[in-house]
Amino acid sequence: MMRRYLAVLLMALAVGPLGAADAIPDRPEKLQFPPLQYEPPKAADYRVVLSQGTVAYLAPDRALPLVNIVVLLRGGSYLEPAGKAGLADLTGYLLARGGTTQRRAEDLEERLAFLAANLNSSLGDVRGSVSLNLLSKDVDEGLRLLREVLATPRFQEDKLALRKQQLLQSLKERNDESATIESYQSSFLAYGEDFFLNWHMTEASLASITREDLLAFHQRWVHPANFILAVSGDFDREEMKKKLETLLAGWPHQGDKAPPPPAEYRMAEPGIYLTEKDVNQGRVQILLPGVRRGDPDLIASQVMNHILGGGGFTSRIMNRVRSDEGLAYSAGTRLSPGVYYRGLFQAGFQTKSRTVAYATSIVLEEMRRITTEPVSEQELETAKRAFIDTFPRQFATKAQIVSALADEELTGRYFTDPDWFEKYRARVAAVTREDVQRVAQRLLKPERAVILVVGHKPDILLGHPQHPVALKDLSRGPMVDLPLRDPLTMKPLPLN
Amino acid sequence: MQSARLFGLLMALLCVGPTAAQQVPVIEKSLSNGLRLLMVPRHDEPTIAGGWVAHVGSANERPGITGIAHLFEHMMFKGTPTIGTKDAEKDRQIMAEQDRVREAMRVEEAKVRAAYRRGEIDDWQKPEHQTPRWRELNQRFQELIRQQRELLVKNEFDRIYTAQGGSGMNAFTSKDLTAYFITVPANKLELWMWMESERLYRPVFREFYAERDVVYEERRLRVEATPLGKFEEAFESMVWKAHPYHWPIIGWPSDVASISKAEADAFYATYYAPQNLTAILVGDFQPDTAVALAERYFGRIPRGSQAAPEVITLEPPQPAEQRMLAEADTNPRVDVVWQSVPFQHRDGYALQVLAQVLNGRTGRLYKRLVLDRQLATSAYASQDSMKWGGLFGISAEVREPRTPAELEQAIYEVLEELKKQEVPAEELQKVKNNFAAAEYRKLTSNTAILFQLIFNDGLGDWREINEAGAKIQAVTAADVQRVARKYLTRENRTVALYHRKAGTPAPATAAVPK
Repeated sequence: MMRRYLAVLLMALAVGPLGAADAIPDRPEKLQFPPLQYEPPKAADYRVVLSQGTVAYLAPDRALPLVNIVVLLRGGSYLEPAGKAGLADLTGYLLARGGTTQRRAEDLEERLAFLAANLNSSLGDVRGSVSLNLLSKDVDEGLRLLREVLATPRFQEDKLALRKQQLLQSLKERNDESATIESYQSSFLAYGEDFFLNWHMTEASLASITREDLLAFHQRWVHPANFILAVSGDFDREEMKKKLETLLAGWPHQGDKAPPPPAEYRMAEPGIYLTEKDVNQGRVQILLPGVRRGDPDLIASQVMNHILGGGGFTSRIMNRVRSDEGLAYSAGTRLSPGVYYRGLFQAGFQTKSRTVAYATSIVLEEMRRITTEPVSEQELETAKRAFIDTFPRQFATKAQIVSALADEELTGRYFTDPDWFEKYRARVAAVTREDVQRVAQRLLKPERAVILVVGHKPDILLGHPQHPVALKDLSRGPMVDLPLRDPLTMKPLPLN
Repeated sequence: MQSARLFGLLMALLCVGPTAAQQVPVIEKSLSNGLRLLMVPRHDEPTIAGGWVAHVGSANERPGITGIAHLFEHMMFKGTPTIGTKDAEKDRQIMAEQDRVREAMRVEEAKVRAAYRRGEIDDWQKPEHQTPRWRELNQRFQELIRQQRELLVKNEFDRIYTAQGGSGMNAFTSKDLTAYFITVPANKLELWMWMESERLYRPVFREFYAERDVVYEERRLRVEATPLGKFEEAFESMVWKAHPYHWPIIGWPSDVASISKAEADAFYATYYAPQNLTAILVGDFQPDTAVALAERYFGRIPRGSQAAPEVITLEPPQPAEQRMLAEADTNPRVDVVWQSVPFQHRDGYALQVLAQVLNGRTGRLYKRLVLDRQLATSAYASQDSMKWGGLFGISAEVREPRTPAELEQAIYEVLEELKKQEVPAEELQKVKNNFAAAEYRKLTSNTAILFQLIFNDGLGDWREINEAGAKIQAVTAADVQRVARKYLTRENRTVALYHRKAGTPAPATAAVPK
């Protein structure tokens, strides 16, 4: 029944535009579209458990003679010993860049370059990855090199010294750009000094890290029990499965299973925090606690955030701060759900010094308004359609499919909510205006907001003659001068 | 080198395979009004990446209205008579009145600029320096804005797309082209046709003056409030002295603050005529359907009365080296650029190969400067072929405690080596292998293909995406040596040396102990 209806519509569309007499409708709502059927990928169609127990997602795709192999690593900087901030970063980077016991770094680089193979590795805060993209004719040699890099990295001394120097020099640029300052200050305000996200690399921590530290960190954490594989491209599924068994067979060391990252942190007290930087545009960030991934309000909160500031040009904050007032180029909100710890609500924008207070007052006003009156049906519908209709895009390529599925496995949602993708669109469709207002009331408490301003204080406090708003009146909390940090120690610098 | 034995075999494999195999199957159609349509049907995902290119960029501007191509790009999202307002006629009347008030305000703004020229004020942008008359007019203007807001349907153009599953909608302006793009679900091809042709057919530039302020904030964000923005802007102006590439895409501050609506209207009439546009579709659709829809929707836009004028000015050969010594909030660094060649120039391919001989962790710059001599922490080369001219550039960060001057000299030594001796066969083959693999990698998504067509058509010829591969593979070691000698000369270069500005809190440190 459905099918016949579809065929009729498709024919109508194929014929329709050819009738030149058809008048073009004055509104796009008058256009008719054929229905679009889409089903998300199912894990079972891609998932294999290799003999070592490691999970891999495989998606053959014979269109191009390329193979893409991604090894996701559980673990990250939260596993660093005290005083060794930077160890995970160095280990991750040097897996692929520091040679292997079988070959020096220079020879490995030459070989990869000659094969036009891209091999990259990195370790971040809570996860890492080693990825290999190469021509399918070279896949066997590529997998041999990948095995060496994962199982027996050399961490060559000269490459370690070079990487340390590169990192040390990047530390020196921490106070050069207002955006960088904003990023570290907002992280300190959001999570507090002790949370692992704020274990910043310092000159001293870099200096203390030795090749032995890298070897020990690698031995303990980099092994198949902490891997998830996502493989796509030009191969036969069964053959690739065998190749991956070989890749992981007989691992030279036993390690620990990575524990979950810490989840407890303390946000700063409500107030306005000002960091001086002599530029003609202030950067503002408004912070509040957000949600965790398993939160029953997760989807409603995403819809709410889309309407408030997450939906680009359709969102209220962009409309008011940018389109109405011309106060900022980019203005919006983010509500990134935390996988392991509670995420943040962040509203942010950049505006000339003299309109910082005024623009901030508009954003706070919009945060209040969405808690006090229901959103319109049209806003709700737009936000919901945005999530529902763009849903297939995350599965656009085979590489994206296995990457999305591997991510579900890594974060554990594959086990706690195996139907996540299947039910996602229906869950979005079920969100009501009442839900939106309820989660807004739950999350958006402007009086609790931590407001960070980075910019030229005298002009910011001066305000604008046409918009009589004072920054200090925008919070019941104190106005605090937040000092810059010494770029090499991350200790607060004296205030001038 | 354990690879030497395999080398002959691999070379044989690679020389036949990847050069002819991956032509992008582009279908090209011209509509009756001169608009061109490029189509690449691909059925991997249920989406269509759609875009169009206007063959105009900042190079088509003139002093006084620099930044107009980019400001105009912003204006193209403001709607039409039926999109963005509840009452088109009343909206039009209010806008006409707004323009009259702004013209009177321009007279006042000219007075402020005159006071600035006489040195009576030190900052023409300070709100305190506005004349009493300007403030009076501004009150009237703000009242008109309030009236218009009653009728506005905010950002309706975006909302329609968003509510229909459109994503990634955006646009960009370069020195040579302006591009608009979005991805829509596969069943919404006609929506794309309706929306894009409608805004081209009868755009309404509402909220023009607020958008000018938005662009000024964008200028602050990218140029004025970043450590290197103003230096890079000045550097580029040194490089291009005669050619319109001389001014920044975002425009000079004075110009951005005073572009008028009338100037925008004239710009649209000249450069957004259908014969100056190319529409591009990549993804899940039937070409016949797309052509019929395009003729119906885009075909209604009347052909422009005149061809867009060509950019005539050629950059004269540079007679002497130029240098900039900058003190900035940055690690010490070196930037060198040489005048080279534009898009599709026959020497461009050898210059691209030369850049890749220098690049990467096995490239000459990294080996000589980062690993062997330890003068740099990173180094990068590129050949940037624009429509009317091109630059070959090398950028590197100094490894402390060495100096920019030492690093600069070392860069020239690397280049001298390439001028004296041809690149060995295996090294050249390595570079070509990477170009060959990139031929496949560029085909991985609708959006990736769309952007290549946007850039290549915008620079003059989309066919380049299918023709460049073979031309790159044909480059010889002698070609690389010849272009290095020809273009990378002292007279032809402009150099920027960056030192860290004294007094910024970045204490000097000893090198990290090994």
